[in-house]
Amino acid sequence: MSCRELERLFVSGAPEADSARHRQTCAECERLGAELDRTLSVAAALRPPAWSPALRHALLDVPRSTVSCEGADALLATLVEGEIAPEDAARLSSHLSRCGACSEAAATLQSMRSLAAPEAPPWLAARLAGAHREKKKRSLWRSAFSGRMVVAYAYAAALIVMLLGLNPTAVVRRAGFAGLGESTRNAVTVAESSIGDRLGALQEKAIRTLAVWRGHIGGYGRAAVSNAFALVWRPEPKKTPNRPRLGKDGGAAATPVGIDVAAGRREELSAPFLRV
Amino acid sequence: MSTGNGDEKELVARCRRGDDDAWRDLVDRFGQRVYGIAYHFTLKREDAEELSQEIFLKIFENLDRYDGGFPLVAWVLSLSRNLCIDRYRRRKRENSFRFVSDDAVTALLKSEDDPATLALRKERTRMLFSALAEVPEDLAEILILRDLNGLAYDEIGQALELPEGTVKSRLFRARAEVAKKIRARHESRSVGGPLASIAMAAAGLV
Repeated sequence: MSCRELERLFVSGAPEADSARHRQTCAECERLGAELDRTLSVAAALRPPAWSPALRHALLDVPRSTVSCEGADALLATLVEGEIAPEDAARLSSHLSRCGACSEAAATLQSMRSLAAPEAPPWLAARLAGAHREKKKRSLWRSAFSGRMVVAYAYAAALIVMLLGLNPTAVVRRAGFAGLGESTRNAVTVAESSIGDRLGALQEKAIRTLAVWRGHIGGYGRAAVSNAFALVWRPEPKKTPNRPRLGKDGGAAATPVGIDVAAGRREELSAPFLRV
Repeated sequence: MSTGNGDEKELVARCRRGDDDAWRDLVDRFGQRVYGIAYHFTLKREDAEELSQEIFLKIFENLDRYDGGFPLVAWVLSLSRNLCIDRYRRRKRENSFRFVSDDAVTALLKSEDDPATLALRKERTRMLFSALAEVPEDLAEILILRDLNGLAYDEIGQALELPEGTVKSRLFRARAEVAKKIRARHESRSVGGPLASIAMAAAGLV
């Protein structure tokens, strides 16, 4: 086993003479030194292998065979656009085969296209079909409370109120007298006789006014009914673009389909309601 | 520790700009050395040429990373090291260093030797590479770079990112390990028979 003095002298850069002196005093180091000398002499006798002219030519052609990382950036942009020249594509491909970072960048850039148009998962079609049915159900419920239907309901309610319109005085009298005792009825009769004339006059005037109102309201009520029906059950008008519209000169104008009211009343009454 | 000079930095800058003359200058400066290193790691001309091309492709692709911080030769060596080691490991796995071919050895020998001396040198060289393949890679690569390719200690240290003392220490151990392997082979041949021992003695191997 060597004392490692030779190694210490070598690493410290000591002169060869120091190693030679130590080898004279240490048998193990002398043996090791002799082996080292033999090995070194073999290595020193070797000459460097000569490179061939063909290899030199190939090395000179390297710049036309590949690109640098910074050059690859520009070529990657043209690659993604699909406008890369064939010779540039070959140089870029050569570079990507050796450069992991650029190869990763190229894969990421090219994956952008697939990100823009993802393939639909198999469950999506069934889910969309279910959503369509749900929307259909919901649309029926919504249509019952659409703006058009609310207007129709308003007309109907107004009509009911008007149809139920009664003489309030007569109602009060009937309801009040039914629950009173004999003395009270007499008192009321006395009181009524004193104010009866005045009330009677007022009542007659009210009845006359009401009769006039009923005449008007009846007309409006009929119009309301017809408009409500028209709004709810009016079918879509048929499109007849090539059909010549008839005007004053050519006869009757095209009549809106489904409004089943007398022509005069319609012109007079339905127009304001339809604009609501 | 020496650093890259302005000439080398300018040369690299011109190569980056696509200057063909500059690239030719770089190839002629380092082509022979790179091929020599590649050859010692592969011991096969075709493999060494292919490896040299790979190394120069890598050099060109990484020119923008050379900042002149250390000599260009050390930078070239640091870029080529992984490629050389990968190829060296492959060759070792294939066990192709066990029997070094005559052609591989002949390419390294001076042809002016007489036939007897040439035969002796061939045998010693073959044995050197067989022993080298049996030592750890970190020792073998330093011996290849220093003793077979003549790189300076500081260039090896910069390329392998090792202190100069570590380079020397590893080199000494590499030489000692290789010498030990060679001696072991001689001893096994001596045990193999008296004729082999006589032949080895006659050849001057023991």
